[in-house]
Amino acid sequence: MTTLHPRAGALELERTRCCICETTDADPIAVGEDFEYRTSADSFLAVQCRRCGLVYLDPRPTTDELPQIYPDNYHAFSFSEERFGLVYKVRSRLEARRVLAATKGLDVRDIVDIGCGDGFHLDLLRSYGNPAWNLVGVDLDKRAIEAARARGITVHEGTVESLDLPAASFDVALMIQTIEHVSDPPAVLRATRELLRPGGRLLLVTDNTDSLDFRLFRRRHWGGYHFPRHWNLFNPSSMRALAAKTGFEVESLSTMVSPVNWTYSVRNLLDDWGASRKVVDRFSLEAAPALAAFTAFDALHNLAGRGALLRVFLRRPA
Amino acid sequence: MSARRVAVLGAGIAGLTAAPELRRNGVDVTVYEASNRVAGLATSHHDEDGFAYDTGAHFITNRLAAAIGVSASCLTVRRYGEAVWMRGRSYGYPNGLLAVPRYVASALSSRARGHARRDAGPKGSAAEWFRRTYGAALADEIALPLLEEWSGAPAEELSAAVGDKIPTGIAETIGLRLATRLSHRAVAIGYCREQPQSAAVYHVYPEHGVSTLCERLADDLGDAIRVDSPVQRIFVDDDRVVGLRVADVDVDVDAAFSTAPVNVLPHLVDGAADALDRFGRFRFRPMLFVNLKLRGRDLVPDVVVWTPEERFDFFRITEAPLSMPWLAPDGYTMLSVDIGAEVGDRHWEMGDDELAELCLDQLTDLIPDVRARFVGARVVRTKIAYPVFRLDYEADRQALEQSTGVDGLVSIGRNGEFAHVLMEDVYWRTLRKTRRFLAGGIGSPQLAA
Repeated sequence: MTTLHPRAGALELERTRCCICETTDADPIAVGEDFEYRTSADSFLAVQCRRCGLVYLDPRPTTDELPQIYPDNYHAFSFSEERFGLVYKVRSRLEARRVLAATKGLDVRDIVDIGCGDGFHLDLLRSYGNPAWNLVGVDLDKRAIEAARARGITVHEGTVESLDLPAASFDVALMIQTIEHVSDPPAVLRATRELLRPGGRLLLVTDNTDSLDFRLFRRRHWGGYHFPRHWNLFNPSSMRALAAKTGFEVESLSTMVSPVNWTYSVRNLLDDWGASRKVVDRFSLEAAPALAAFTAFDALHNLAGRGALLRVFLRRPA
Repeated sequence: MSARRVAVLGAGIAGLTAAPELRRNGVDVTVYEASNRVAGLATSHHDEDGFAYDTGAHFITNRLAAAIGVSASCLTVRRYGEAVWMRGRSYGYPNGLLAVPRYVASALSSRARGHARRDAGPKGSAAEWFRRTYGAALADEIALPLLEEWSGAPAEELSAAVGDKIPTGIAETIGLRLATRLSHRAVAIGYCREQPQSAAVYHVYPEHGVSTLCERLADDLGDAIRVDSPVQRIFVDDDRVVGLRVADVDVDVDAAFSTAPVNVLPHLVDGAADALDRFGRFRFRPMLFVNLKLRGRDLVPDVVVWTPEERFDFFRITEAPLSMPWLAPDGYTMLSVDIGAEVGDRHWEMGDDELAELCLDQLTDLIPDVRARFVGARVVRTKIAYPVFRLDYEADRQALEQSTGVDGLVSIGRNGEFAHVLMEDVYWRTLRKTRRFLAGGIGSPQLAA
């Protein structure tokens, strides 16, 4: 009955609902494009659940479209020392401290990194942590897995829900900037809880929508939207609701400093409004001055508990 | 939730917004469409000369296109603006009007007297409200004459609620104008009340006409849409909807979402006693749209030009190709000239050629060589163009905003809600009403159960 005329590069989209409340009662808050990679001609709508405050894409690309929206040059797979130089060194030090915090106070043997990408965090644990730890990664992107394996890291290909990893076999799970990418966050958290030994800990890091950068840029250019790859975005209260829904106890919830969303928010705005390439390129992950300035700026907000990233320690009840 | 059966009457934008939302929430939905195709008013027509016409003017934003999932089929609108033509010259909105000292003085003195309490909401007649808010000079010379042409009633007899249609303050307008300039996109100003305006929300237009939106919405509904299925009766028993007669067959339903003009409900519904009679008094203003095909482009001062002076039979001229160049072939343009009418009055009875002549005559004031440019006309007559907010039924109109008063009967869409709303507002309002229904609020039969 109908004839659609999608232009070249249009994605197949599907309707979604709040993964926490399982309702559709949400307000539209942003409309944006894939400013960073231009993988499609679509605009995307971000909505906010009126009950829990979760921000999510609706409609969003179907999972069949993942290969198109994660192009070969996607940064998560190529954050190398050669390319990023000083930024790589600084970030490595900072991140090492952050992930090691997840092991504090626990008798640790086995650690799993869910959405391990190229193995960056596991590599840090290997270099800065206890050599006796058994380190395992999970990811579903073949290029990322190749890169991680090239580093000598064990990676299972697939999703944590579909892989049949032995239950209650890990003391610590990492989920760093992963939850916002997945199609069903509650399913991922439930599967992760099953992997943990009773009393085990999950360190979860994700973009924070209770932040100044979100407030300023939320109508379109906020870096954290990362259109159309971030499907669910949290604030402290929706994160607590997600934890409660999936059987986790919240050990602690705080925010962390990150210059990335600030940098990309400004970059997206400049790019979207037609600024020259030269100006736009002052704001990127390779632009140390902008990163340094935004790091300092976000550090001030972090003191007020409004940093750019949420860091949550969740515990599988004993 | 129980497997409730809901009928949606009409496969226009409102019906096709409500139906998927109901279905997503576990309701068994059927959409009945009287004609042989979807889209209702939200359609474009193309003629053999390469001109495209909408039924009325459709304003679509990137936000609406993204919500429906058709943004990749849309083109960005780069330019949009309005002006007022008076005393043989054009005044841009709002800056050109702000440069007229008389208007500013009158508006300021009205405000200084503390009359412009917008937060208190519009009350009383439209005439009072506009004089209070914009000052007597601007109201009497521009706003009220336009309002009267548009509604066909004296401003003293209209409700101040029509003022709701113009929600954007001057400072905000100037800010959004600036955003238009910086972003090179026509940022939408004053077209959506349901959701916030911002620099990020701008006009777009589907490459293949406005029906793209409805076609996309219909896609997900598949065979839940029945075309050629006019609903003849809605049966109400004990103050709640119990069934329908569709193409001479009776079906049981628990609720009906109607997109019919609200003033036909008293005739359509059987068994509601006189609960719906009050809506039968509501009047819609008929309108004539005289579309003039002309050589050239950029013939009027801006995309929309308002003509409040009495010497003009029309009150608005729209040169849509200034916004959307693809609506007319290269080297040509189209002016849509709007004339308020009543069925059977002088204008209504005029032939198409006669109407074109009348418009060309009066347009020479704006475009001296308009006759030399003229290549043809196409007139669209519509009996149901704009709801008229008469004061004498204002209380009933406000009651309708809450509910129809019959359980299981929800009236949606531009004509069903009897509201001055454009496409994006129709979409969000319909979603809001549907969600209230699902939550057991408005019109929900659960409430009665």
